[in-house]
Amino acid sequence: MRRGLTTLSALVFTLGAVCVASALRWLDRPVATVASVAPGRASAKPEPYVWDIPAPFPRPPVPADNPMTAAKVLLGRHLFYDARLSGNGRLTCAACHTPSLGFADGREQAIGSTGDVHPRSSMTLTNVAYNPAYNWADPTTTTLEAQVLVPLFGTSPVEMGHAADGAELLQRLKTDPRYRPLFTDAFPDDTAAISVRNVARALASFQRTLISVRSPYDRYRYGGDRNAISDAAKRGEVIFFSGQRGGCFQCHGGWNFSGGIRHERDTLTQAAFFNTGLYNLPGGTSYPSPNTGLHVHTGLPGDVGRFRAPTLRNIAETAPYMHDGSLATLEDVIDHYAAGGRTIAQGPRAGVGHDNPNKAPAVHGFELRGTDRADLVAFLQSLTDSTFLGNRAFSDPWRGRR
Amino acid sequence: MVRLRTSRFTFAAAMPLAFVGTACALAAPAAAQQSVRAEPTVQVTGAVTQSLTLKASDLAAMPRASVRTESNGIVTTYEGVWVAEVLKKAGAPLGNALRGAALSTYVVAMASDGYQVVFSLGELDPEMSGGQFLLADRANGESLFGETGAFRLVVPTDKRGARSVRMLSSLQVVTVRK
Repeated sequence: MRRGLTTLSALVFTLGAVCVASALRWLDRPVATVASVAPGRASAKPEPYVWDIPAPFPRPPVPADNPMTAAKVLLGRHLFYDARLSGNGRLTCAACHTPSLGFADGREQAIGSTGDVHPRSSMTLTNVAYNPAYNWADPTTTTLEAQVLVPLFGTSPVEMGHAADGAELLQRLKTDPRYRPLFTDAFPDDTAAISVRNVARALASFQRTLISVRSPYDRYRYGGDRNAISDAAKRGEVIFFSGQRGGCFQCHGGWNFSGGIRHERDTLTQAAFFNTGLYNLPGGTSYPSPNTGLHVHTGLPGDVGRFRAPTLRNIAETAPYMHDGSLATLEDVIDHYAAGGRTIAQGPRAGVGHDNPNKAPAVHGFELRGTDRADLVAFLQSLTDSTFLGNRAFSDPWRGRR
Repeated sequence: MVRLRTSRFTFAAAMPLAFVGTACALAAPAAAQQSVRAEPTVQVTGAVTQSLTLKASDLAAMPRASVRTESNGIVTTYEGVWVAEVLKKAGAPLGNALRGAALSTYVVAMASDGYQVVFSLGELDPEMSGGQFLLADRANGESLFGETGAFRLVVPTDKRGARSVRMLSSLQVVTVRK
């Protein structure tokens, strides 16, 4: 009897927990709430991070040496919104990756803390955990832990602008008493928890939580709601996925609309890089320096102009477009691809991109008829996930506390 | 609503890539847009004894099968009818009849947007080869819709998805050697 009651209690508790979890999911809140800072709490076993990813999407890959915990995510979120991560204290990570701007910055080219204009456009952090490689055309940076060091310490261009040894950065973090419990909770086994390596691990952990799979299109395609998107968006979907019409999926493929993903069961997929015929300068190098794409890393002439195909999720929020922000609107991008490349009539960048020798076969051009352009735009807009962009778990934790 | 029979076969196979078809610059045929409101069908035509125009209800009454695919980490269970069963119904030479000149027969799977993929009759016959070719009309228990069209050819044994023709509209059987 006693055992029966215990079993019953366990059942009731389990059911209760399931109901609470379901209710939280229904509210579109992360089940793993990132709790407020609990100073001095020493936890032997860190609380694991509980993913909030609805079926049928896979979890992202997580490096074995940086398992996800709620404490690391919380620390990473504080660092992400902390201007002390820039050398002169003027820039946060969020300045170039702003949630309301699709985790990009709305500029043609990003601007570093000291005013350096980045040669390329800020990339969205939407679903960044699934990327097989980072940056626009860097096949050598394949983990978020390695990637975060690029803006922190890079000098060409200067982004955050910290000195390479990280001493100044660590000194600032050590002198703020609020960081001590955040670091010790995140890295309870480390005697010197406040380190560059752990800053990178925490920032990577926070960014892995930036998962966007609840757009209207997701409700239409995966959620059983056939009315979640407009008729125009439905027509646009067909154009996007038809190789005989738009064929956009040939580079922006799969559920993430990108050039390949990695996930929990596939950690080996390589990033795909494409030349889209954006330029065709005369002479040896057809793309304007320094943005020659994959060629920067390989030196191969055939890699000039090849860039990674980023996710198109939340793309309506991240204008302007392309690696250098040189196309202002989604309509401009669609016209560029419909023409099979961009023609620049005059000036230093004049050339017929359509004829770029490295252009990907998938950029074949297509005819836009009737409402096709507007339909494609409506489809791309249906990939905007307002629950993601407005998710309070991703917002500035310092607000009102500084 | 026809209740699905229990699938006779279930196979697991990996589809590591999105369905990356080769492309050409053909414009979509007008039929692609005209057929939006009509009840979708798959036609089986050409070198067969009985041309067919199959609706979803016709496929539901045939022997059912299912396959499991995984693409970019998303697992999908497709249900439908083996292509060989459809071709058999149309009278294409299969099994013991697939000999001699009949082996020069091929099948063009055509999509409503004009996409085409060729299969030899021999590879579509389970008595001849180990490939799996499903004429799918449902995924995860729901009718196919939107960019997939009402019918899709699913080839889970392929390494890439390019032959898994979405918006499948016809199977044209052609004999090379008369």
